[in-house]
Amino acid sequence: MALASDSQARPSSPQLASPRLLIVAACFLAVVVNAAERPWHFPTDILPRLTQAGCNAGKCHGAATGQGGFKLSLLGDDPAADHAAITRERGGRRIDFSNPERSLFLRKPSRDLDHKGGQKLRAQSADWKAVRDWIAAGAPFGKTDLRVTQLVVTPAELRQSAQLKVTAHFSDGQTRDVTAMALYTTQNDAVATVGKTGQVTIERPGLGAIMIRAAGQVTAARVAVPFKRELIKDFPKPRNFIDEKVFAELQRMRIPISPESGHVVFLRRATLNLTGRLPTSVEVRAFIKNLNREKLIDRLIGSEAFVDFWTIKFADLLLLDSKKLGTEPARAYRDWLRAQIKRNTPMDQVARALLTARGNVTQNAAANFQRQKTDPRDMGEFVSQTLLGIRVACARCHNHPFDRWSQADYHQFAAFFARTRVKGGELVLVERGEVRHPRTEKVMSPSPLGALKTAKADGLDYRPALADWLTRPDNPFFARAMVNRVWREMMGRGIVEPVDDLRVSNPPSNPALLDALAASFVKNKFDLRRLIRDIATSRAYQLSSRAIAANRADTQLFSRAYLKPLPAPVKADAIAQATGQPDVYAGQPKGTRAVQLLDAQVPSYTLDVFGRCPRTDNCADPTQFGGGLSSALHLINDPTLNKKLGPAIAALLKTHRTPNVMLDELFLRTLSRFPNAKERAKCLKHIAEVKGTKEGWQDLLWALLNTREFGFNH
Amino acid sequence: MKKSNSITRCDGVVRRDFLQLGMLSALGMSVADLLRWQSLAAEPKKETSCILIWLDGGPSHIDTFDPKPDAPKEVRGPFGTIPTAIPGVRLSEHLPLTVKAMGDIALVRSLTHELGNHNTGRHYLMTGHRPTPVVAYPSLGSVLAKESGFGRALPPYVIVPRTVEYSEAGYLPGAYGPFAVGGDPSKPDFRVRDLNAPEGVSIDVEARRRNVLMALDNFSREVEEGPATLARDAFYEQAYKLLGSPAAKSAFDLKKESGATRNRYGRKSIGQGCLLARRLVEAGTRFVTVVDRGWDTHQDIARNLPDARFRGSGKLPALDRAYASLLTDLRERGLLDSTLVVLMGEFGRTPKINNRAGRDHWPRAGFVSFAGGGVKGGQVIGATDAHGEVPADTPVRPEDVAHSMLKLLGVDPHKEYIAPGGRPLKILDKGKMIPGLA
Repeated sequence: MALASDSQARPSSPQLASPRLLIVAACFLAVVVNAAERPWHFPTDILPRLTQAGCNAGKCHGAATGQGGFKLSLLGDDPAADHAAITRERGGRRIDFSNPERSLFLRKPSRDLDHKGGQKLRAQSADWKAVRDWIAAGAPFGKTDLRVTQLVVTPAELRQSAQLKVTAHFSDGQTRDVTAMALYTTQNDAVATVGKTGQVTIERPGLGAIMIRAAGQVTAARVAVPFKRELIKDFPKPRNFIDEKVFAELQRMRIPISPESGHVVFLRRATLNLTGRLPTSVEVRAFIKNLNREKLIDRLIGSEAFVDFWTIKFADLLLLDSKKLGTEPARAYRDWLRAQIKRNTPMDQVARALLTARGNVTQNAAANFQRQKTDPRDMGEFVSQTLLGIRVACARCHNHPFDRWSQADYHQFAAFFARTRVKGGELVLVERGEVRHPRTEKVMSPSPLGALKTAKADGLDYRPALADWLTRPDNPFFARAMVNRVWREMMGRGIVEPVDDLRVSNPPSNPALLDALAASFVKNKFDLRRLIRDIATSRAYQLSSRAIAANRADTQLFSRAYLKPLPAPVKADAIAQATGQPDVYAGQPKGTRAVQLLDAQVPSYTLDVFGRCPRTDNCADPTQFGGGLSSALHLINDPTLNKKLGPAIAALLKTHRTPNVMLDELFLRTLSRFPNAKERAKCLKHIAEVKGTKEGWQDLLWALLNTREFGFNH
Repeated sequence: MKKSNSITRCDGVVRRDFLQLGMLSALGMSVADLLRWQSLAAEPKKETSCILIWLDGGPSHIDTFDPKPDAPKEVRGPFGTIPTAIPGVRLSEHLPLTVKAMGDIALVRSLTHELGNHNTGRHYLMTGHRPTPVVAYPSLGSVLAKESGFGRALPPYVIVPRTVEYSEAGYLPGAYGPFAVGGDPSKPDFRVRDLNAPEGVSIDVEARRRNVLMALDNFSREVEEGPATLARDAFYEQAYKLLGSPAAKSAFDLKKESGATRNRYGRKSIGQGCLLARRLVEAGTRFVTVVDRGWDTHQDIARNLPDARFRGSGKLPALDRAYASLLTDLRERGLLDSTLVVLMGEFGRTPKINNRAGRDHWPRAGFVSFAGGGVKGGQVIGATDAHGEVPADTPVRPEDVAHSMLKLLGVDPHKEYIAPGGRPLKILDKGKMIPGLA
């Protein structure tokens, strides 16, 4: 392992020292040299070694109650407490200043004495010696205000086996190589494994990441190992910046793309994706006569159905629920949301309105956002998860184990919401209200995640400062979180998954793509429709969902369109539309479609079993509800669905007089395409065989609604 | 209680999606896997089934199966104790029927772990694994579903009434997740929906329709075959198998039981849930989880466990009736030896009563009650210390519970599955048989 910069002064690295220096070191003279060059700093010189050795892991001394009477903070969370535990607890018996090598703190982990945790520090190893020398120097804590501000790993991206190098940047400006002290974890050991000191071994082609933790900071190196194939030369010309980024990464990984989707497949896909409904048979026939994809996209994005459908997506995201908010405020909130989508209000302005609203929750409905949670901590978690795509919850009780957030970051963020109250249907600001750090009991001043300065209040209200930060063009989270969510809606998978977990140790499948989308979103003033249009018009979006041999295994780089199961309300509406028999929802005006419902409180077993978002918790993973055997049974046996068949067929038979015309109509209404030859033959044979013609057609309609193809947006 | 449903998910950031982080080879495996079990022959053989009674929220050990009559009042709590046939072993006074069934019970009083959140504790007990951010582990029910396959008309893994977090398939294909009966079996209008053809649709019509559906699915070339489509196909196949078997369908019908039997189990959700579980196990389901919510008793245990105002009401009497009746009923029907019944929740509760007259989360001590399925009854395994704070002997960890359950159910706990990404994972990598259990 390399000694890096000259500021990285840890001369006790014995491998590189001359034999004479080794002897000197063994006589503790190194301590003097050491101290002269750079004073010991417990949090960064000693603690990371304990973390790396696993001493403060959750299952060892890092457990909430410690282990064997010795407790350390989880992963070195609390250096001051750890220092006290090591040097002062139990009358200081863990440290022997007169003879450092006799210290319990060295003899136990090296198994010189019995240690339940096994051997964690080999005697005479570099780590062992560092601890010994530190004890010999008086086991000082060192500067209390010195901390690591950032970790930088090189290479940041690996395509082959390599040694990682990790550099820590300190608050006083110095940098130091901490490669030997960092803790490495592979996020996908099928693709890459990592040794204790950062030696990465590639196992097979694919994507992965190595998470690196040292001195309270976390970073990651991306692993992207190309398939062993010829370079692909015949990528089509990119239609926009999205194609450039998608194709570039696929080319690098040597994964070819599927051909462009057929026209009617595209019509179905775009209509379902943009408006949540099926194209009608008239629309399919019209599109076949005029195959203009861009015009179609613009028509769909400009439609009322688009507004309905994207309103429900945002209502799901914001957990809009009348049980929690009350029917009237919930309705006002939904109407407000719908108006923003309809006007295409820039998303930064929407976020600002949500974050800063106050007043009457029915008249100024954005204020309902703040009613989601009453505790400022819960509210902080909710805001970071929905608007920033960050899960900070772990940092409530201890520093985040997979991200950079400390307990202080968490509570400073929560402090933004400490002064809002709901009184008599009004969201008001009060003069008192604070969040305290649970350990230090210090009152936290509000500060955005990752910001260096605390926020300034506007009168009583700190929230405008939060909105300023969140919507700044250089905010690292908001735009990325938004474009990632929209991308997932359109493409069936986020560039980061789950979409609410953008963290350093969970890197995007295509980082350049996420960056480009976010940059474009900011440049276009957070224009949602523009973003959706950019995606819809890209070649990447318009690829076939059929795999070719060489991209069959790709599930995250968008070499083809991925199958998307129809969302619950879309599926219910599709059945209603295809049969021409609308559903009736209790208390709703006739003709209300499922995507127009206020929330999941409107009773519908069909929607439950298809898996609608219950809005009690986030629905980042849409497959976690409904589906399965219950859904299959429902599609087979539900009386409501079966009752639609008779009237549907009776109505259609009046205007579609020959079997071929009727069959075309049924296929167009359900699968948005004409039947192929085999399908036609089978269906006509069925009609001829079944005695009651109407019943035969009902069978066909039922079967079409139950096909695999009907249930997916492909 | 609220907390467990919120977006807080600290050490339990576990989702199927995590696995996708870099698994370009995921697809091949899932397809093969699904195809394999789709072709499994229908050959039901007599195996041990499992009924897991899940006390969601974390049942207090001191107020139920591990009372401390000699401890000070703030530990002892408001309830008295009654003796069992085992010398020196007492249970809460609110478990009089369970006391009589003690001869079938192996009571582990030394469950211990460190995960004091509902989601993490639930994950640990339901899967046998501590939660990790990179692998979504399957519940033990899903493991059993995988081992049993879909040869029978009844789904191999059923949950009553609804799924809870981590009762699902984890990294296994979604088809191994539980079939939720969907409603509270104690409600008079309870029935599992969509098990019967709608009015006017005869068996012939259903068969005719199915035939067309299969043909259309075969002829369509639009949709790529993959895990999602294969799971969908598997669910349809399973649905038709279930619909085609009157015996299987009637297993879901509690009305087939006499009023006396239904009363014997108690008319509460847990009682009727246990009765439904017995019917399902009898008819061939391998694993039934009966979820009973409301054990997160942070306050007022004297009102929440037994309801002091109304004699015989509250959670404990309902549990007592359901649990004891299930064991007796299984024994009377000769099913106890082939049915493992496990009673547990995510953790125990604080030995000291809090200032709201309740108890908070306490993962360091708890209980698991085993019966049937080859378990040696009439014994207590392990013990907590004088105040029920930590195990005093034979500490039993969640992975030991999972290991023992799998062993008793005839599944090798160290069997390797291939997770998405081609990664081999043992069902359990830790854990050992609880000493003396079987």
